[in-house]
Amino acid sequence: MIAACLKWVDRRPEVDPITGVVHDDNRFAGISDADQAALEWALRHAEVTGDELVVVAAGPPQAEGVLREAVACGASRAVRVEVALAAPSPTVARALASVVSSATTVWCGDYSLDRGSGSVPSFLAAELGVAQALGLVAVTLAEGAIEGLRRLDKGRRERLRVTDRAVLSVEGSTARLRRAPLSRTLAGRTATVDVVAGPREVDARVTTVRSRPYRPRPRELAAPVGSAHDRISSLTAAGTSAGGRTDPIVLDPAAAAERVLSALTTWGYRPES
Amino acid sequence: MADFHFDVIVVGAGPAGSCAALTLARAGRSVCLVERGPFPGAKNMYGGVIYPRVLDQLVPRWWEEAPIQRWVTRRMTMMTTPTQAITVDYRTQAWAGPPYNGATAYRPDFDAWLAGKAEGEGAVLVCSTTATGLLRDGSRVVGVRTDRPDGDLTARIVIACDGVNSFLAKEAGLYRDSDPGHFTLGVKETLALPKAVIDERFGVRDLDGVDIEIVGCTGDVPGGGFLYTNLDTLAVGVVLKLPALAAQQRRPEAIIGALKAHPAIAPLVEGGEVKEYSAHVIPEGGYEMMPTLAGDGLLVAGDAAAFCLAAGIWLEGVNFAMGSGMAAGEAANEAIARGDVTASALAGYRKRLEANFVLRDHRKLRGAPGLVLSDRVQKRYPAFICNVAERMFRVDNPAPKPGLRRIARQEMKRGGVRLRHLVKDAWAGWKAFG
Amino acid sequence: MTRSVAVVPVRDGMLAVGGDEAVAECEGRAVLVGSGCAIAARELAVTEVKMLELDDFAPGSWAVALAAHLTDVDVVVVPGSPDGRDLAPRIAHALGRPLLAGAIEVRADGASCARHGGLVIDELVVDGPFVTTLQPGVRGILNASMPAPAVEIIEGGASTRTADAEVMEVLSPDLATIDLREAPRIVAGGAGLDGATRFEQLARIASALDASVGATRVVTDRGWVGHVRQIGTTGVVVEPELYIAFGISGAVQHTSGLGTPDHIVSVNTDAHCPMMQLADLAIVCDANAVLDALEEQLSG
Ligand SMILES: Cc1cc2nc3c(=O)[nH]c(=O)nc-3n(C[C@H](O)[C@H](O)[C@H](O)COP(=O)(O)OP(=O)(O)OC[C@H]3O[C@@H](n4cnc5c(N)ncnc54)[C@H](O)[C@@H]3O)c2cc1C
Ligand SMILES: Cc1cc2nc3c(=O)[nH]c(=O)nc-3n(C[C@H](O)[C@H](O)[C@H](O)COP(=O)(O)OP(=O)(O)OC[C@H]3O[C@@H](n4cnc5c(N)ncnc54)[C@H](O)[C@@H]3O)c2cc1C
Ligand SMILES: Nc1ncnc2c1ncn2[C@@H]1O[C@H](COP(=O)(O)O)[C@@H](O)[C@H]1O
Repeated sequence: MIAACLKWVDRRPEVDPITGVVHDDNRFAGISDADQAALEWALRHAEVTGDELVVVAAGPPQAEGVLREAVACGASRAVRVEVALAAPSPTVARALASVVSSATTVWCGDYSLDRGSGSVPSFLAAELGVAQALGLVAVTLAEGAIEGLRRLDKGRRERLRVTDRAVLSVEGSTARLRRAPLSRTLAGRTATVDVVAGPREVDARVTTVRSRPYRPRPRELAAPVGSAHDRISSLTAAGTSAGGRTDPIVLDPAAAAERVLSALTTWGYRPES
Repeated sequence: MADFHFDVIVVGAGPAGSCAALTLARAGRSVCLVERGPFPGAKNMYGGVIYPRVLDQLVPRWWEEAPIQRWVTRRMTMMTTPTQAITVDYRTQAWAGPPYNGATAYRPDFDAWLAGKAEGEGAVLVCSTTATGLLRDGSRVVGVRTDRPDGDLTARIVIACDGVNSFLAKEAGLYRDSDPGHFTLGVKETLALPKAVIDERFGVRDLDGVDIEIVGCTGDVPGGGFLYTNLDTLAVGVVLKLPALAAQQRRPEAIIGALKAHPAIAPLVEGGEVKEYSAHVIPEGGYEMMPTLAGDGLLVAGDAAAFCLAAGIWLEGVNFAMGSGMAAGEAANEAIARGDVTASALAGYRKRLEANFVLRDHRKLRGAPGLVLSDRVQKRYPAFICNVAERMFRVDNPAPKPGLRRIARQEMKRGGVRLRHLVKDAWAGWKAFG
Repeated sequence: MTRSVAVVPVRDGMLAVGGDEAVAECEGRAVLVGSGCAIAARELAVTEVKMLELDDFAPGSWAVALAAHLTDVDVVVVPGSPDGRDLAPRIAHALGRPLLAGAIEVRADGASCARHGGLVIDELVVDGPFVTTLQPGVRGILNASMPAPAVEIIEGGASTRTADAEVMEVLSPDLATIDLREAPRIVAGGAGLDGATRFEQLARIASALDASVGATRVVTDRGWVGHVRQIGTTGVVVEPELYIAFGISGAVQHTSGLGTPDHIVSVNTDAHCPMMQLADLAIVCDANAVLDALEEQLSG
């Protein structure tokens, strides 16, 4: 069996910039682009292997709408696990694991739109004791293996290969979800969604004391050196650029090019020639 | 004999489509309501005032459940020049209780509610699905093609409620050539303000609301402006004659900007945060451009049939959409019962419309757009009336007060207002609105 | 007393992005894990450092190996880099502790975590020990000199093999196709350039300077380069170290997507446009001619 985990979320929440209060509008609820991509990969994967495809959502009854749409797209079976909307990632992962424990491959989105931690797939892999390949920007379904390109920092990429059971998460740009045929959309409206009870316990260790709008935290910067006057002018200079802003200089093209290259050398972007 | 998926397919879950579907589903017909948006009303825009009395028979006591913002209890008509304004301000508490009159509402709320009523009666609503063409058997329409894979859907009758510039009605050849002169552009901004501020600025309480229609505020482009109160937002917008807009090369947002800066409007909208900007074409003064209303196996309703009045200060469409949707549903039901869905069997639709307000209002008001959008009503009369008022109320002692007759004569001359035209326009207005 | 320690993944002697900030958040206490830890440690201001030398990134096994050394730590701070984000939940799972993901600030008893795409901050308080990921770039660091750190080499890993994906290769960034968001150096052109071919030239110059190409909306609207190259509010928000602007006026919709480059160069015929005001090096000259001269000097 292959599984896809789909999170039912508000796709267009409105966040009050002053208070940080989030207004949900359930009419715009659905699954994220990343989850849509995950579903598309799961569908393609199931087509290749001929396996059954189970779609799972942990959440409230409204989540069944997206599961029915997934069935209309070609999923074989839909399961909803009853968990609280605010359940923490490990609980969600445990809820999902109870349904997908026999899956060979579990497809997820890289981040959910609301919590946005991207940790559920990793917890799920830990829960299932299987490999993880997360945040993939490209996927290749090969014979007996799946290859993926994972985003690393500083623009690097890592090519991963999984040959055994695994949890994979993909970015939304990796695939575009197919449209469900009309006949299946009509039939899918009444598709049954199995409902199972999820873990009941809540994590009493973590409490949200309050929510507020995002404000950047003060950044630590090296104290300016030099005289008091220099320090004041450097502290009051706009921006955080290392060098002070300079007056424009008028140069002819050749001199301008030379000046640019020498500045890059001084700043350490080019080796000394 | 073909096997149909449904008795009727209704394309478009706007007010017209939902009323048609609701009527048919209640009559026991199988109905599919096809909507291209992710949910009914998701992308629908309009000014903001609905007159839902037409729902009295379809949804008794609709006011107890319809998602409205405020009940309009104060209706103002304002004539403006760039620096002046004269307003007729009518308010009545009679409109603050059942059966009410007009209400401001958000279309995503209202349309979703109405479509929900149709679903409740058994209509099958399919969203995120666009009808891309008609299926035919000879000359008869037998269904629609949609943009989904394997997307053909068949039915005995298709009702096109797909809004202005109806693609389906055009494809069926029900329209003669469309003349851009019959279209106006509606643009609107939604501004957020706290409810208490709106209550105070507009002098209303609780769910009472205000509807202001404004003439003379659109510069050289014939049109009109509006300002409506929602619970904690304002809708401010303009309706502009399309050819003139193109000729003047003015941007509609600049015209709204000028309206918002008008001394009579600025204090009302000040500080409102723009939440939304939207624009949409409106079929204006429908009677002149109305298409043939029925074909074999096909009916058209709502904006798709150009049932809309948008003449400067006049902005009604949702009520006509609901009224025509209901009539189309009834006519389709009868035709199916008789087993004949040809255009002539569907003629009952037009008869119904002629008997009720939809076509009567349109016929009566057929002259209104021309009048309201004329240069005289747009510019000369507002200037004339404002100037007369100004001189009436101005005290420039030691000069003695001039008599009203003299002021009027002087101002008529100054503003190029002829008595002959005044009489003619008054007569035209009397015929149109009287 | 609560103890916090930063766990920082290392690849070939390179610290994960935000690793220095995570260590600073833990007052210089760090566990480095991966390949080339000793080299990476030299870049850090640390007071106490443990090193667990392991080869390919394998979050499942790494977490199990690390957990044994973290049982007495109350707050484990992992940088929110790609490797850190993948590792942290596995550590939390191995330790049976809650994970506070996406923190912008860590305290002894909890953290402030970004939600809803960074629009909302939840203040979370934890009763007991926890693991958290700290978003790179939110904190900044002081480069204060530290006394020589206490170094401990720890062993582990091999015995505890957990299922992990196989790393086939690591690809170095391709500056021509890199996601502009990740580009450390950007050379951008605006309406001051005289045609689409200038952007081909710009691409050649950029590649000689190890930089990527960016553009303004005027340019992308004209179709001279693709929309993915557009920097600004309706394009991508970038965070380069070096930004070179040719013929760009510096409209706020453009500069608001510019981040805080360490160095800005602007070449423009208008000495008074906002881009020139922002620049560390502002040259008044025809940008097209400067591009020609640059290309010549770079190839010479
Ligand atoms: C700026 C402005 C202000 C207005 N102000 C007012 C006002 O204050 N009061 C008032 O009563 N009226 C007002 N109107 C007019 C009013 O909006 C329309 O008359 C009314 O919405 C018509 O309803 P309808 O159901 O015919 O069409 P619509 O409301 O346009 O609904 C058409 C529906 O069909 C769907 N659709 C279209 N094509 C397809 C397709 N191919 N396949 C599937 N679905 C399709 C659309 O998504 C939509 O849901 C205003 C209009 C504008 C533009
Ligand atoms: C809602 C909105 C969103 C927007 N989003 C973005 C966005 O995401 N990104 C974006 O970039 N823009 C955006 N814009 C557009 C933005 O406002 C500016 O119009 C745009 O950034 C200007 O691009 P420019 O600097 O290339 O062009 P201009 O402003 O036209 O500047 C050209 C510059 O080139 C200089 N110049 C001319 N000839 C030469 C020469 N021979 N040599 C050297 N210099 C020369 C001129 O002095 C001038 O400073 C947005 C605008 C709006 C309204
Ligand atoms: N409640 C849920 N139900 C189903 N899948 C989920 C749920 N929460 C998270 N996921 C999956 O995990 C991915 C990452 O989510 P998150 O860790 O919350 O950012 C999502 O894109 C989904 O694929």
